[in-house]
Amino acid sequence: MTRQIMHIDLDAFFVSVEQVENPELKGKPIVVGGRPDRRGVVASASYEARAFGLHAGMPLTTACRLCPQATFIEGSFPKYRSASQRFMAILTDFSPYLEPVSLDEAYLDVTGFESIYGSIYQMAVAIKQRIKDELRLCASVGIASCKVVAKVASELSKPDGLLEVATGKERSFLSPLPITKLPGIGKKTERILNGLGIHTIGKLSAMPLSTLKSHFGASGEILWRYAHGIDHRKVEPPSAAKSISRETTFGKDTRDHSLLKATLRYLGERVGSQLRQQGKQARCVTLKLRYADFTTITRCHTLRQASNADQTIFDTGVELLNKALSQEKQAIRLIGIGVSNLTEPGRQLAMLDSSAQRLGQLNKAIDRIRKKYGFTAIQTGRTLLLKEINLSSS
Amino acid sequence: MRLTCLQENLNRGLSVVGRAVATRTTLPITNNVLLATDQSRLKLAATNLEMAITCWIGAKVEEEGAITVPARLLTEFINSLPNDKVDISLPLQTKTLELKCARFEARISGVDAKDFPPIPKIEQGITTKVEVEALHWGITQVVFAAASEESRPVLTGVDAEFDGDLLTLAAADGFRLAVYKLSLATPVSQKTEVIIPARTLAELNRLMTDQEEAVEITVNPNKSQALFRLKNIELVSQLVQGTFPQYAQLIPQSYNTRVVVDVAQFLRATKTASIFARDGSGIVRLVIVPGGELTPGKMTISARSEEIGDDVGEIDAIVEGEEAKIAFNGKYLTDALGVLRETQVALETTNPSSPGVIRPVGVDNYIHVVMPMFVQW
Repeated sequence: MTRQIMHIDLDAFFVSVEQVENPELKGKPIVVGGRPDRRGVVASASYEARAFGLHAGMPLTTACRLCPQATFIEGSFPKYRSASQRFMAILTDFSPYLEPVSLDEAYLDVTGFESIYGSIYQMAVAIKQRIKDELRLCASVGIASCKVVAKVASELSKPDGLLEVATGKERSFLSPLPITKLPGIGKKTERILNGLGIHTIGKLSAMPLSTLKSHFGASGEILWRYAHGIDHRKVEPPSAAKSISRETTFGKDTRDHSLLKATLRYLGERVGSQLRQQGKQARCVTLKLRYADFTTITRCHTLRQASNADQTIFDTGVELLNKALSQEKQAIRLIGIGVSNLTEPGRQLAMLDSSAQRLGQLNKAIDRIRKKYGFTAIQTGRTLLLKEINLSSS
Repeated sequence: MRLTCLQENLNRGLSVVGRAVATRTTLPITNNVLLATDQSRLKLAATNLEMAITCWIGAKVEEEGAITVPARLLTEFINSLPNDKVDISLPLQTKTLELKCARFEARISGVDAKDFPPIPKIEQGITTKVEVEALHWGITQVVFAAASEESRPVLTGVDAEFDGDLLTLAAADGFRLAVYKLSLATPVSQKTEVIIPARTLAELNRLMTDQEEAVEITVNPNKSQALFRLKNIELVSQLVQGTFPQYAQLIPQSYNTRVVVDVAQFLRATKTASIFARDGSGIVRLVIVPGGELTPGKMTISARSEEIGDDVGEIDAIVEGEEAKIAFNGKYLTDALGVLRETQVALETTNPSSPGVIRPVGVDNYIHVVMPMFVQW
C-alpha cells in the first residue's frame, strides 16, 4: 500500500517564538544564539537576517560582521521547549503516528487520513491553520509517499509553504534539484559528487549503484535510494530514552577545580532529576570533557548497583574528572555528564547502612520542592558558586 | 646448592605456591619463588606480603643452598618438561640456577635468597585443628558473601570465632550475610575472634582439595597473622584489622511466611528468571502462595524486562503462614542456593522490605540472610 507521509517544519523557530513574544521584532534581522561579543554560534536567524548570508551554525562574530544591525538575542531554551511541546501536541491531535525529529520538526504518518479530511492536502492546510491560530507560528509542510521526499518538499516550500508530491512523481520532482537539497549530503559529499560532475539529484540517480558504493561505502546505497525517491524508513514514535545527559560550554576555558565541580554538580542534578522523573535508574555514568584545543574525551564508569541518586552521579563524575585532570593539563572548554544503561526502578536494600535509602528520601524531597517552585528554588551548597559567578559576570 | 627431585613433584609444588606470587607489586622480588634446601627436602615459598605459601617436596639434597627465581618463568619451564628427574644446582658464588631434565638444560638468573621477604613464623598463640571436609564446606558456604570492594575492609574478610570446640564463620557484604558453624577437632584454650581475608580462605580451600589430614590453625598472640598448616604445606596470612559488624542482630528472629522447596528446582527457576533480569538490575520476583485443603502450595519465580520480555517459573512448595511477595537480586539467590548440599531449603520472609532468611532443611548450622530489592509490584 502506498504510504502518505507528512513532514512538518516550523519556520525560523527560535526567532519566530521571540517575535511572537515581542512583536516589535517582526520583519527585522534577528539572531538567536547569544551576544555577539561572547563566543557561540547562531542557533536561528530570521529570514531578514538570512538575506545577509547568515545561517544557523555560523559563529556569532561572523554573523555580527555580516549584519551588524541585527538584534542579537540570548534565547531561552525552556521557552522553546514549551512551544515545541504545544506544537507536538497539535500534531498528535491529527495523527497518533508522530515521530519528532527535533524541537521544530516532525514526521506524521497520515496514510488513510484523506477519508477524514477530504484530502491529505486539506489535512495539511488544517494543521498549518491550527499552528497559526494557537502558536502564532508558521509551518511548512511536505507531503509524499516517503520520508525523504516529504522532507525535501517541506524544505523547498519554505517559508509558510505546503507542497505535495504525487505518488509516482518522486523521481521527477527530485531530479532537477541541486544535490545539496538531498538530506545526507554535506559539504564533503557535495565536493566529491561535484568532482564527479554531479550537480543535480537527477544526475546522481543516474549513477550506477556500484560507483556510489565504491565512493561512499554503505552510505552510497542510501544516497542512491534517496536520489530515486526510495525510502522505506517508517515513521517511528520515539522510544524510551537510552541515555540522559547534560553539558555546558564555559564562557572562558577553565582549570578552576571548584568551578568544574560546581558545574558538574549542577549538571548531575539536572540529569538525576530527569532520570527519577522517568522512574529509571542507571548503571553507567559518563563524563565528557572538551579541552581548549577541542580534543573531546568521554570516560565512563559502571556502578555496581544501579542508582538514580544525585550524590552517586556526582561522586562518580568527580572521580572520573579527577582521573582525567591528572592526565591532561589543558584548560577545559566544555564539561558534560550523562547516565546510560538505564534499568527499571528497583533498589537493592542494604543491610548494614541505610545511606542509600536516606539519599533516596532526600532526592525525593528535593524533587517535590523543585516541581512546585522550580529547579533553582533549592540547591546544594556546591552549586552556589555558579550563582555567585553568574551574578558577578552580569 | 645441588639437589635432585622429580619433575612431577616440583611441578605440583610450584602450582601450590604459585597463587601467593605477587602480580602487581612495587617489590619485584615478590614475583619470584624461593627455592631452599631444608634437610632432605626442597622448600618452595612465595609471598604477596598479604599471604605466603610454603610447600616442601621430596628431594635428594647433595649440597645446601637457597635462591629466588622468577616464579612464572620457572613454573612454565618445569611444567613443559617430561616427567623425569630434575637436577638443580646453583654453583657457589653465582646467582644462576641450573636445571637439567632428560635432555633439557636451562639456566635462570635469580636474586639472592637473603633479599626475599621473611615469611612470618607463628609458633605461639591460639592453636586448634579442624577436619578438612568440615572446613571446606564452611568456607564454601560463606566466602562468596564477603565484599569484593575495599570500601569497608573488614567486609572483605570472613569473621572467624573460635569458642571451645566450635568455629563460627561469617561473611557479609552489606547486602547479604552467611553464617556457618562447625566443630573443631581440638578445642581452643580461649575464645578468639579474627577476620581472615576471604582471598586467603578461598586459597586454603583450593589447597585442601587433595588433603586428608586435619588442618592446624594457629593465630598469633596479637591476632595480626594466622598460620594454616596442611601436610607439607603452610599458608601464613595477614589478618584483617578492625571490628566485624555485630551480625547476630541482623538475623530476623521471626517470620510471617516460611516456604520449603526443592533446592534444585528453586535454583533452576531462579537461573531461568535471571536470564530475563539481566538488564533490570537482576530483579527476580518471588510470589509465595499457601496451599488449600487439597492443593499444594506454590512459589512462582519471575522476571521481566520492558524490552526483552518476561519469564515465570512455578515450583511446588510447603507454605506456612500468609501469602508473600518479595524480590531479590537473582545473583544473590543463585549464589546462596548453589552452595547448598541439602535437597530442601526453607525461605523465611517477613515483608517485602525485610531480609529473607535461607536455611537448608535438616541441618541447623547454616543460615543465609539476603536483603530484598525494593520494587513496584
